[in-house]
Amino acid sequence: MRAATPTRAGTVGHEDVEIFYEVYENGGPTLLLVPPSPITHSRIFKAQIPYLARHYRVVTFDGRGTGRSGRPTGRDMHTRAQNVGDILAVADAAGVEEAIVIAHCHANWWAVDFASSHPERVAGLVAIDPGIPYLGKPHEHWAEAGATWNEALDNPSGWQLFNRNVITGDLERWVSFFFDAQLVEKHSTKQFEDAVGWALETTGEILADSEEAQDLDPPTREEFQDLVDSLDLPVLVIHGDQDVCQHVDKGLGLATATEGELKVIEGGGHLALARDPVKVNRAIKTFVDTKWGKDMSTETWTRGLSRPKRALYVSSPIGLGHARRDLAIVEELKKIQPDLQVDWLAQDPVTRVLESAGEAIHPASEWLASESGHIASESSGHDLHCFQALRRMDEILVANFMIFQEVVDAGNYDLIVGDEAWDIDHYWHENPELKRGSHVWMTDFVGYMPMPEGGDHEAYLTADYNAEMIEHIARYPRIRDRAIFVGNPDDIYPETFGPDLPKIRDWTEDHFDFAGYITGFTPPGPDEVDSIRDDLGFAPHEKVCVVTVGGSGVGQDLLNKVIASFPLAKAQLPELRMVAVAGPRIDPDSLPSHPGLEVLGYVDRLYRHLSVCDLAIVQGGLTTTMELTAASRPFLYFPLKNHFEQNYHVRYRLDQHGAGTAMDYDAIDLDGIAEAITSEAGRSVNYRPVETDGAQRAARMIAELI
Amino acid sequence: MRARYPDIEGHVDRHGLKLGYEVFGAANQRTVLLMPTWTIIHSRFWKMQVPYLARRYRVITYDGPGNGRSDRVTDPARYTPGAYASDAVAVLDECGVESAVVVGMSLGARYGTTLAAQEPHRVAGLALIGPALPLTPPSPEREAIFDSFRLPYPENVTGWGKYNLAYWHDHYADFVEFFFSQCFSEPHSTKAIEDSVGWALETNSRVLEAEENRPGPEDDWGELLTRLRCPTLVIHGTHDRIQPHERGRVAAQLSNGRLLSMEASGHIPNVRDPVKVNLALRDFVERVAS
Repeated sequence: MRAATPTRAGTVGHEDVEIFYEVYENGGPTLLLVPPSPITHSRIFKAQIPYLARHYRVVTFDGRGTGRSGRPTGRDMHTRAQNVGDILAVADAAGVEEAIVIAHCHANWWAVDFASSHPERVAGLVAIDPGIPYLGKPHEHWAEAGATWNEALDNPSGWQLFNRNVITGDLERWVSFFFDAQLVEKHSTKQFEDAVGWALETTGEILADSEEAQDLDPPTREEFQDLVDSLDLPVLVIHGDQDVCQHVDKGLGLATATEGELKVIEGGGHLALARDPVKVNRAIKTFVDTKWGKDMSTETWTRGLSRPKRALYVSSPIGLGHARRDLAIVEELKKIQPDLQVDWLAQDPVTRVLESAGEAIHPASEWLASESGHIASESSGHDLHCFQALRRMDEILVANFMIFQEVVDAGNYDLIVGDEAWDIDHYWHENPELKRGSHVWMTDFVGYMPMPEGGDHEAYLTADYNAEMIEHIARYPRIRDRAIFVGNPDDIYPETFGPDLPKIRDWTEDHFDFAGYITGFTPPGPDEVDSIRDDLGFAPHEKVCVVTVGGSGVGQDLLNKVIASFPLAKAQLPELRMVAVAGPRIDPDSLPSHPGLEVLGYVDRLYRHLSVCDLAIVQGGLTTTMELTAASRPFLYFPLKNHFEQNYHVRYRLDQHGAGTAMDYDAIDLDGIAEAITSEAGRSVNYRPVETDGAQRAARMIAELI
Repeated sequence: MRARYPDIEGHVDRHGLKLGYEVFGAANQRTVLLMPTWTIIHSRFWKMQVPYLARRYRVITYDGPGNGRSDRVTDPARYTPGAYASDAVAVLDECGVESAVVVGMSLGARYGTTLAAQEPHRVAGLALIGPALPLTPPSPEREAIFDSFRLPYPENVTGWGKYNLAYWHDHYADFVEFFFSQCFSEPHSTKAIEDSVGWALETNSRVLEAEENRPGPEDDWGELLTRLRCPTLVIHGTHDRIQPHERGRVAAQLSNGRLLSMEASGHIPNVRDPVKVNLALRDFVERVAS
């Protein structure tokens, strides 16, 4: 799922080529984002657009030859003049009178040409990793490869792959080499996949034509000098000093020639946009605001000793489980620190729980891109590849981090608690200078695990992600002031983080404090069960089976399958009553109906149902299964296929408690489910108990920081 | 010891009246002129700003008539906003400065605003701190003093009743202690009060009397602010007992400027919350420059 949706999109014809563009309407100055086509298109700006579009009007487009634009062939269809003409056509079509142009790589040459030929349309230029002729020395490997461009090489390798025959014959070979070389930063697997994927949207012929077209209308040095001299606009250059496409000298050359500002990203490669998006985004905003910002802004600053103690709580919105435990922790925290003000940065469905508890939700919450919507969009049937879903959530995470950072920059928060708030933890380690307040990181599992179907490549990816996290913590121990594991050392899955990486349990014991499990409620004692059942309308003789799939919207298939088995089970067990809970994101009316079956929508405090039922049927999520474990209820759980957390971490923990019966969704048929219902309903169980003081212990750990 | 000593110090002669000025960071390009305020104190009240700003800018301070290194003149005509504006121009001329970002605190806001209105090409930007611009009604306890200022003061006078000409002449030190306890409404302000009282004791009640007797008419401050062409910044404490915060808000609004509200700060935040004020002034100078 994308983090931001354009207000409108369209195409504009320019010399018989359709150019696709997008407009994100907003007040303030217009930013026109120009991608270096055809090797990539407007999605290269995916980490910038959601952030910039909250502050400014943003227009972007796919250049000729790729993305959703036309695919003209022939060298004479890819000249600089035509690409500059595309920019003008988009500006006209999108109603852009004047814009700050933001361009990457060789698109800066078009941007500079456009600014020179249409000075009234360009108010400023942000040049990222720019490559403009005559400005700065190019890397030698380009000239060397260019010398053999047309040759039929035997076994070309390295930069020799920059060759017409290779590019037209095997585009993927060239772009894989190229982007692997560009992504000098470690742990760039996702950026590499993105860049190669976008590059393969053009063809080898078009890419080769566009390269040759650069030789069709080169300016003389004098013409070029006149062009640069005619520029009179503010310029910001951002350039990685390890850029092997455009040498950092070329960024320096542009900044010098335009008397602009140069920001060098040390250790950064050619794709700063994708690899250091937070730094790039903030640099763009500072540049735009300094040159075009409003003078009438108002700021309130409060003296240090006059500030109330404030905490910002960020609760993972994927599912509902975190909200309940986080509320329990905050309740305990306020007993220790009665004057503490707590704001929540949260999104649906967590906000429902918070609103009914009367908690203060920060107004910026409404800007957040939906993480649970993304997770739902990634699921298919009873299958959710949560590791890949998290990887593909990258643009949502950076978009939401930018919102979070604005909130903490302005909010005087003493304490930030992130319960599996991946964006904060990751981007604060990547941008450690941005940290504000004390930071508590909290999670109930540590370590990405590969699923068998993913093979070696997935094992390589999970190990790379784990290694990055381990390196983050080793390099910046000051970013996490406290790391709390929601559970006990025995709960930790007995595996390593990957080849040559530590055992998860050893590392976690070294780097976390353990709060024990946090249920968020006290399970009813035997004497309370009857009165709650009575409250809920469950008769003593009824065998109540509650079916729930949590709050994420993934799980309609499980509901359908279990409901379909209901008549079979009811025939065997006449006192059976089934309560199916659709949750906040599934329409109850979309589920089938049967006599004796009740279907509920969102149920506040669902743990009351769960803690007095005779049987529960659930997915493999930790919160719900642990609630059932704490309440000593029999339950069947169906881990989502390809969900490493449910299949490894949660299952292992439940096994430690001797709780629940794991089911295989694909393998079992309706008779099998009915049989399991009949044999499990009302069965008495004897689980290893779940502690009830977890919230208090976590609160005490947090309170020490304020 | 001072944190930073001036590179240049001297006096300008203003028709027989000597005004002491100091220049810090004389080699820097852009200039910040820190204006005098009510002459009860002198230019040392900028001591928390000068060392920081002078690392980046050429900073000019001077003592207005009546205090510091300037003559203790008792001619009321020397204390009008117009006279202060002319003095400021003379100091800029003496230092060879064409234009500067001008910062005025309290009554200094009147002098700075007058300077910016009369000599727009000399003022690149105008920052006002706790401006004493009567754009809104004064606080009730301050309003009461105006009627009785020239009357005899009662025995056992307390509080703002000490803002009384006869009391100044009889009990100057007691008045200034009271006054600065009101300026620094923030807790734990002992050093700030001691400093200001010390500077106040370098002048006397006759000088303050002359300032009070400055000839009118009162300027139309709202009209002057609306006319300003330079960027403005207004900094105002919400706990300012001397000049209500609302005055700063209106000043920012009328001049289309930026407002920095300092929650729980008093009348002289540049002394009591110097870091925030320093950063805000730097941001402002940078913005003006760009």
